[in-house]
Amino acid sequence: MMSEGAEKNPSKSPAPVVASVADLQVHFQSKRGIVHAVDGVSFDIHDGETLGLVGETGCGKSVTARSFLRLVPKPPGIDAGGSILFRPRTTCDACEGRGCESCHQTGRVSAGCSACSGKGCSECVQSGEETLDLMQVSNSRMRSLRGDRIAMIFQDPGKALNPALTIGSQIAEVFYQHRSAEVLDAANVDVSGIDPGSLLLKRQAAQQSRTIERTLLKIPPLRSRRNQITAAVDDMVADALAETQIANPRKIMQRYPHELSGGMRQRVMIAQALACNPDLLIADEPTTALDVTVQARILELIHELQQRRQTAVLYISHDLSLVRRICDRVAVMYAGRIVEISDADQIFQDPRHPYTRGLLAALPSATQSRGKLAAIEGTVPELVDPTPSCRFSGRCPNEVETCARFDPHLQSVGDEHSVACFIYHEPPEGSGGRPTLAARSS
Amino acid sequence: MVDSPNTDQIYLQTRDSAWRVRAQRGWELTRTMLANPTTVIGLTIVVLLILMALSAPWITEPNTPDAYQMPRDWSAVRVPPGSPGHILGTTNRGGDVLYGVIWGARTSLKLSLMVVSLTVVIGVVIGSVAGFTGGRVDEVLMRIVDVFLSIPELIFALAIAAVLGPSFTNIILALVVVFWVKYARIMRSQIIRIKQSEYIDAARVIGDSKLRIYLRDILPNSFTPVMVQATLDMGNIVLVGATLSFIGLSEAGIAEWGVLVSEGQAGISAGRWWAPTFPGLMVFLWALAFNLVGDGLRDVFDPRTESAR
Amino acid sequence: MTMESEHPQDDAAAASDKLILSLHGLKKHFPIKEGALQRVVGQVRAVDGVSFDIRSGETVGLVGESGCGKTTLGRCVSGLTDPSDGAVYFNITEGDRDRVDALRDIPDEQRSEQEREELAALDEAHCINQLNEQARRHYRRNCQVVFQDAFASLNPRHLVNDIVGRPLQVYGEASGSELTTRTVQLLEQVGLGSQHLYRYPHQFSGGQRQRISIARALALNPELIILDEPTSALDVSVQAQILNLLHELQRERNLAYLFITHDLSVVRHMADRIVVMYLGKVVEAGRTQDIFERPQHPYTKALLAASPDLSDDTDTEIPTLEGTVPDPAHPPQGCRFHTRCPVATPACGWDVDDVVRGLENQENLFDGLSAVNRVSPFEAQLTFDNEASARALADTLHSNAISASMREALEEAVVRDRTINIRFNPAEEVELTERAPGHIAACVLDPAAR
Repeated sequence: MMSEGAEKNPSKSPAPVVASVADLQVHFQSKRGIVHAVDGVSFDIHDGETLGLVGETGCGKSVTARSFLRLVPKPPGIDAGGSILFRPRTTCDACEGRGCESCHQTGRVSAGCSACSGKGCSECVQSGEETLDLMQVSNSRMRSLRGDRIAMIFQDPGKALNPALTIGSQIAEVFYQHRSAEVLDAANVDVSGIDPGSLLLKRQAAQQSRTIERTLLKIPPLRSRRNQITAAVDDMVADALAETQIANPRKIMQRYPHELSGGMRQRVMIAQALACNPDLLIADEPTTALDVTVQARILELIHELQQRRQTAVLYISHDLSLVRRICDRVAVMYAGRIVEISDADQIFQDPRHPYTRGLLAALPSATQSRGKLAAIEGTVPELVDPTPSCRFSGRCPNEVETCARFDPHLQSVGDEHSVACFIYHEPPEGSGGRPTLAARSS
Repeated sequence: MVDSPNTDQIYLQTRDSAWRVRAQRGWELTRTMLANPTTVIGLTIVVLLILMALSAPWITEPNTPDAYQMPRDWSAVRVPPGSPGHILGTTNRGGDVLYGVIWGARTSLKLSLMVVSLTVVIGVVIGSVAGFTGGRVDEVLMRIVDVFLSIPELIFALAIAAVLGPSFTNIILALVVVFWVKYARIMRSQIIRIKQSEYIDAARVIGDSKLRIYLRDILPNSFTPVMVQATLDMGNIVLVGATLSFIGLSEAGIAEWGVLVSEGQAGISAGRWWAPTFPGLMVFLWALAFNLVGDGLRDVFDPRTESAR
Repeated sequence: MTMESEHPQDDAAAASDKLILSLHGLKKHFPIKEGALQRVVGQVRAVDGVSFDIRSGETVGLVGESGCGKTTLGRCVSGLTDPSDGAVYFNITEGDRDRVDALRDIPDEQRSEQEREELAALDEAHCINQLNEQARRHYRRNCQVVFQDAFASLNPRHLVNDIVGRPLQVYGEASGSELTTRTVQLLEQVGLGSQHLYRYPHQFSGGQRQRISIARALALNPELIILDEPTSALDVSVQAQILNLLHELQRERNLAYLFITHDLSVVRHMADRIVVMYLGKVVEAGRTQDIFERPQHPYTKALLAASPDLSDDTDTEIPTLEGTVPDPAHPPQGCRFHTRCPVATPACGWDVDDVVRGLENQENLFDGLSAVNRVSPFEAQLTFDNEASARALADTLHSNAISASMREALEEAVVRDRTINIRFNPAEEVELTERAPGHIAACVLDPAAR
């Protein structure tokens, strides 16, 4: 599966960056002090790749993901700094979305920066591309991005779907919200004129109509045109559902979430998320609530849709063996920081950070003799007003005095492989020495 | 087996710390409650009212032979507040308003404590039986509760008191009949919820008896909503009680705020505002204070916030 | 009542011959009630005839997906729910177990008076639901449970001291300072200490809470601990700590574990033998190595293939299963897995319900259905509003819309007027058969053929 993806990007030049997280800090106010849930996280997501964000409970992976859509409740959340730069894409002109050299086979190119028309200015961080800082954009802009350019799949599809609405109407909402022009177009409703009917229909398609307008739309001449819109949306919804391999989508559209199985609900969630062909899909443990046999099918589906549409995926999970299967690159988080980021193959074959090594060794396997699992001793530190130190100190087998006094930063240790550990780079001056891997064997 | 340190020492040291941990938790809850200014206001008023009620025999000269009866000073009928010997004035039947206000607090405390303790006991027992046994017993008991709940509180109490005849004891009886149902409801739903918790399964697996599981696990974990409701009812009962007294279902001439208001209401048109105003204000303060404290308790014991602490 | 249950320590020498637990055709059906009168309209067959043994000191892994009945089975074994049928025998010798099996296999009415008495005596001595008070207490002490959600299984108002010491109090084993000492010892065995005695459960991390649960389960020195997904709420690094601890304790105390989980890598690491369940029935059971290296049942194979493992080759496709788990209130006939089985044969027990299961997503096919007359699970007459609908269904049944093996099992699909008569080849329930020593599977496919 993965080799296919690799073949598509044979050249070393990486695909353009869709989103770039820089020194993101999200803190929470608590009784005991400020919890540094996400504390200086930086990474890039490239077009068409799957980036896995792995870590244990409370490491900040979900908070990071939710920050993309500004779904972190504030208060108690606090934006403590950093940025998430997002570059929305448009269809590539050269190949009309089929994929060509100039768009790295993704069929999409970035939109030009409106302020400098592509020359590069401070607003677009000299990239010449339209760049939005998701931490700064207005609420209305954020709403237009959610579900359209950036979509999210949640862990529990049973909770993320509205139990009072049919599947069809929930997905239709996405189209009304973000694709009202296309809806009207598909329904062959001409709204260019100034006749009040088309105005009403336009508002209906954008879900802005009030009760009285909806009543007006039930009057015969308008009703037939309104029904045209509904039929057009139904077609779009059915197509979206069919994409997720749901058999007989028209029947499923009329069902309520509780009438579907967990796997089916997750498919509906995926259909909804991918309805508008987003540039970035955030999947927050999408299969944790599912059985293994169903999980396998959902993973396959996400992977296949991603291959077809070249959407970038940020895949949040605690399951290392799963991430290994579906991700191109993996970032390992621990206590609010990324400790290691690299190619998926590399990180599993040659993990560098003691925490990554510990995690991999802790997975139960047939070869490991019973009772001899390499458990990581101790517990995750509380992140209340932390002092500068490696967050893993105290549990690390290679720890030396330096680790408890200085912050390690992500530094390259090879091709696209970065680790935040003093084993691999010089600690600041005046520290007590440098840890070595040798300590591990004792 | 691991070598154990000096057993007695651990025992003594830890028994002490068990007590300390529990006290600390209690103190934490109290502190959370006191962080809310409205609760503090309510609590202050409650303490003052209860102090007033308890010290009534010392701050006024008790009427003989029955201190709960209003003293009648026929030489000073309808005197306004500030008159010598009658700081808050008198009613048109020579009753001292100050005496009524102070002894009324004592009457109210007696009324609300008696009604609340009786209703809590009845409600908890019936609710526990219904929730714990389930099945047909539950069904029957809950239908009875439904019948009681379908009649408006005040009208029901009024009807019972009217049938029993005017007396203070009958008011207590009427209020008990009306107020127990809520506790039965609350208790039953709590027990049904807690019965499904995994720690009840855990206790059953150990082999503990049903009674001990009820006493150790179920009751303590289901009691907080009952406590909150009881606090709120301490206020509500006085309100309903005063209403019944006002209509004349209590003993005439008793030092009770409702009776006093009813005694003084005829004088309002003639400008004698004091006789109904002061006792009325007391009823208002009493109900308000207990409701504020009840709300404070509810916030502290809210299951959503409790587990986080 | 026999001597064994009265003096458990006496027969410790005979442990090799002793089964801690033996399940015989255990069933648990939950009634589906409907309406104001709570009329019983059906039965959810959560556990539907499960038999296996647990010997002292061994770990039996019980594996299956959600809804397969593994948790219900755990509750039956731990005595939290009474089984609808079948029995759980405790502390029984293999000889007695075989005798019980033989006696129970005789239909009720055909048992002689003597046989009945014998069975009753065995039941009273060993069957956990018929024990007398003293024996029941003995059983209770010897069979403890560790629940999945450690937080929910600890009373939030009790201190660790109360929680861990409680079993000792209940059985009057210790009180006062002795109770505290023993509680501290228990805590130390699970890697906690006396400094944790006077804390509330919410002051601990998830792993520590599970340690407290384990300490409580150990308090009475049981022979068997039922572990109901003990690590599925924990992170891998903590899971490894708990698994190591469990193994350590097992070695020290010769504990038997019934390890209920959906996580195959955990069960592979921990279990000596594995029982795989699907829809309330055992589909395969055997030694861990055999199950993982030579799985016999297609469901086990699918389960193994679907669960990701670090040693997998990432380039291979994940083989997946079609469809969803059928409703346990109406389990499929024959082999219950045949509706999703990639290698299903005509003999797997295709039935009338499968027609609906397989075709319900086809557009408009059942819209005109007006009446169903069910003759048997394998035969029914479906009446439609018009003849065309009936013909459409008949055509579909003969088309590729249904699997080849199902078509082959279909004996008759004849349309008369508006009614279609559907009849399948009847099939028996698939019995567990021995595939290798100690390795059984329930699949119609002949092991020799593979």
